[in-house]
Amino acid sequence: MSAHDENPPAQGGAGGGSVFDRVKRPAGGGGEGAGGGGPEALGTPPAPTDSSQLPEHTSWQQTGVAHRPPRAEDVDRRAERRAERLIAFWFFVSVVGTVLFIVVNFVGDKHEPYYTPLLGTGMGLALAGLGIGMILWAKRLMPHEQAVQDRHPFRSTDEETAVLEEEVALGWKDMGLGRHKVLRRSLLGAGTVLGGLLVVPLLNLTNAKPGKKLDHTHWVKGARMVTGEGRLVKMGDLAIGAIETVFPSVPHVNANGETEWPTHVDLHTKADSATILIRLEPGIDKPRPGREDWGIDGLVAYSKICTHAGCPVSLYEQQTHHLLCPCHQSVFDVPDGCRAIFGPASRSLPQLAIGVDDEGYLIARDGDYTEPIGPAFWERS
Amino acid sequence: MTTAASNSPAPKLVKRPGPLRTLNRAVDERFHTQRALRENLNKVFPDHWSFMIGEIALYSFIVLLLTGVYLTLFFDPSNVEIVYDGSYVPLKGVEMSRAYASTLDISFDTRAGLVFRQIHHWAALLFVAAIVVHLFRVFFTGAYRKPREINWVIGVGLLVLAMLEGFAGYSLPDDLLSGTGLRIASSIAQSIPVIGTWASFLVFNGEWPGENFLPRLYVVHILLVPGILLALIGAHLGILWHQKHTDFPGPGKTEDNVVGHRVFPVFAVKSGGFFMMVFAMLALLGGLAQINPIWAFGPYDPSKVSSASQPDWYIGFLDGSTRLMPPWEFRGLGHTVAAVFWPTVILPGILFTLLALWPWLEAKFTGDRDSHNLLQRPREAPTRTAIGAMAISFYLVLLISGGNDVIAKTFSISLNAMTWAGRIGLIIVPPIAYKVTKEICIALNKRDEEREHHGIETGIIRQLPTGEFVEDHRPKPEPVPDHPLVPTHRFELSPVGAAHGDGAGGRGGLATRARKAVTGFFVEEKGKGEH
Ligand code: HEM
Ligand code: FES
Repeated sequence: MSAHDENPPAQGGAGGGSVFDRVKRPAGGGGEGAGGGGPEALGTPPAPTDSSQLPEHTSWQQTGVAHRPPRAEDVDRRAERRAERLIAFWFFVSVVGTVLFIVVNFVGDKHEPYYTPLLGTGMGLALAGLGIGMILWAKRLMPHEQAVQDRHPFRSTDEETAVLEEEVALGWKDMGLGRHKVLRRSLLGAGTVLGGLLVVPLLNLTNAKPGKKLDHTHWVKGARMVTGEGRLVKMGDLAIGAIETVFPSVPHVNANGETEWPTHVDLHTKADSATILIRLEPGIDKPRPGREDWGIDGLVAYSKICTHAGCPVSLYEQQTHHLLCPCHQSVFDVPDGCRAIFGPASRSLPQLAIGVDDEGYLIARDGDYTEPIGPAFWERS
Repeated sequence: MTTAASNSPAPKLVKRPGPLRTLNRAVDERFHTQRALRENLNKVFPDHWSFMIGEIALYSFIVLLLTGVYLTLFFDPSNVEIVYDGSYVPLKGVEMSRAYASTLDISFDTRAGLVFRQIHHWAALLFVAAIVVHLFRVFFTGAYRKPREINWVIGVGLLVLAMLEGFAGYSLPDDLLSGTGLRIASSIAQSIPVIGTWASFLVFNGEWPGENFLPRLYVVHILLVPGILLALIGAHLGILWHQKHTDFPGPGKTEDNVVGHRVFPVFAVKSGGFFMMVFAMLALLGGLAQINPIWAFGPYDPSKVSSASQPDWYIGFLDGSTRLMPPWEFRGLGHTVAAVFWPTVILPGILFTLLALWPWLEAKFTGDRDSHNLLQRPREAPTRTAIGAMAISFYLVLLISGGNDVIAKTFSISLNAMTWAGRIGLIIVPPIAYKVTKEICIALNKRDEEREHHGIETGIIRQLPTGEFVEDHRPKPEPVPDHPLVPTHRFELSPVGAAHGDGAGGRGGLATRARKAVTGFFVEEKGKGEH
């Protein structure tokens, strides 16, 4: 440090140019150049051998330097030692943190609540100790000075540009694409056709064409209604004001010739066939024309999939008979055919006609919804 | 010590190099590195707190890579349904995908699993936040002006990719929240005119919720997007390195120089320390602050949703725009364009396009086609600053609206009112922000100008002979640099050729002599004829 202390930055030389500037110029005059710099200006312009060789934009030589009191570390050996010890302390903190992390990781019980917080703390100390130490080291013990570097314009000389352009033009001529029409056209053609190599793998990304898939759900005529817990719903299971999410239980005949009603619902069925069953107070429902008999005894069924962006519409307000979608707050008025009355959804939730089978179970009376459920898509009319 | 040596003639080659110098020379003999290495180690980086914001983005990205790799070793991105049998009791016996189960295992049954999972998530939030703030600093100081437009465009690409990467990561654990987010994403894909249905089927491998979609998403999250991010960050920093960093005007600083610390040693040590600090903060957050407790949400079930579900903050503005959108679904000619299309495809499309084109738009409006290396203070470009404030206020209204249900509940406001406030606010707040910001900038400029002309108020009041009271003004002092300014290179390189060594080696120490003897033995045995 000491040389730096007694010898304020000498500012000789021909600027902070690159090596290539420098090799071209003789080294500048001595650092402690002539010229009366006041006490404010520690650095004084050197006396260059040939001032015309000094790039005039290299301005650092001309500028004075603030007369800042030197750092304690620079003048006082004990302050320097103190700084050193402080930095070492932080490095030691880092070691403690690392040890903490290792011990907790191996000895700690990962099911105890202290485990993750202690690991994070250990790691934080390990890294912060090192980080604080390094920053202090740079700030307290490394020289406080600013280096000056020239910028060079990016634009090339006219000559360089002209030469390059000409050479490329000649190369282009050598390629002969201008002269050979057939070559040019067949190359273009082959390149375009090659685009197929891009499109085909892309199409392989789907296991099925969309076709009419979005128009249908898993509901079929006579399917019973099963809850997520696997219970088939009967007439009378729902009290007035109650709500239940149901899915289709599509009957199939097993090996013994008996009809089975599956109660396990797979993800795809849940995704498009989720239906809300609501028991309204008698006389409240105002069915749409032609749908007067789609409900029974105050029970109505609507698609649970929001017509906005497909979230399950899951919050039911009993007093107002409103269904709320938690995703973007669309509100559907149940007695009014689940009309969208607020928020970004614009279509009513589709209604499912319900009936009761011989054994008293609720069923989809006519089969699937009469319109595509859920969010809109281009092919939807 | 250091500065005294500046401009000294080039030192002589050390004849008996230590191991580092030996390595250096071995590399140089194969790659000719000395000149480039010297240039780059001596490269100067200017110092300003706002230049560290980009570094924070960079460091959180590194933390993401490190913690992400750890997570890949334990995560199983599989859609296969299993019955959970881990140590989190409330979910025992529940059916779920292997992806969700393995995330539970990372959280409860893996050593240091939860802490790394949480660091990873916090780092993702910090990553995007730092990018956005970095963008603000670049914008409001005019750092994107010629010749740095390309880095600005790369930056916009990085922002979009960072959001995509975050969304993909958020969606991987297959919990109820992430599944809901993906469901909305599939609806957004579906809403695109003409190709929407196909697009959604191609992305999700069939009709929602698709077939084996998670392995696909996994590849996007751990290979595709990080790969592109890495390449773009490389290009971003490479261009920055090549073009050199901008700086604020100041004593000794001009359009044609850079004033600051050399890469080696001060900048390297400071930056290394700063990286440690960013990582330390994320480690503490990861250990002490819970984030995304997926076990509380349960596995994804398309027929369930939790109320007040919020995406990560950087998706919030899209959530907000979706909520504020009036129910305008267009139907006709046998086709439908969904309402989600406008706020989630068109709006961000326009916003990010304008953002990317901004450097050229501004150049067109101002006619300023010069290269700039010195930054502007925000007040020095009142129109730009006002436009920035307008954009930020627009963004903030959307962001706040993304949580309007939570706000409505917290403050017992009706949701209806919140939505309408958002819709109206989106239209009237930005122009107000523009006007106010512009006025403030102009007022600040006026004050600066007065100081320039009349000097600084001293607070000393004097009475003139006429009886009038005036305040003394002190002329503004010429600014001077805080620190000594020194040249970048400490040594002069002598003219080409003169610096070559004569090749004469010393006798060397005992060990060297011993080695030489052994070598000599081999050489003599094998190549007697060569002498
Ligand atoms: C992955 C995200 C990003 C990373 C890791 C990153 C990193 C960095 C770093 C470390 C710097 C130098 C330090 C600084 O000026 O802060 C920088 C400069 C720059 N960044 Fe970014 N950045 C990212 C995103 C962006 C974005 C979103 C934009 C703008 C849309 C942007 C535009 C720029 C520009 C124009 C510069 C040059 C600034 C100058 O020389 O003054 N970057 N970036
Ligand atoms: S998904 Fe229901 S309101 Fe958006």
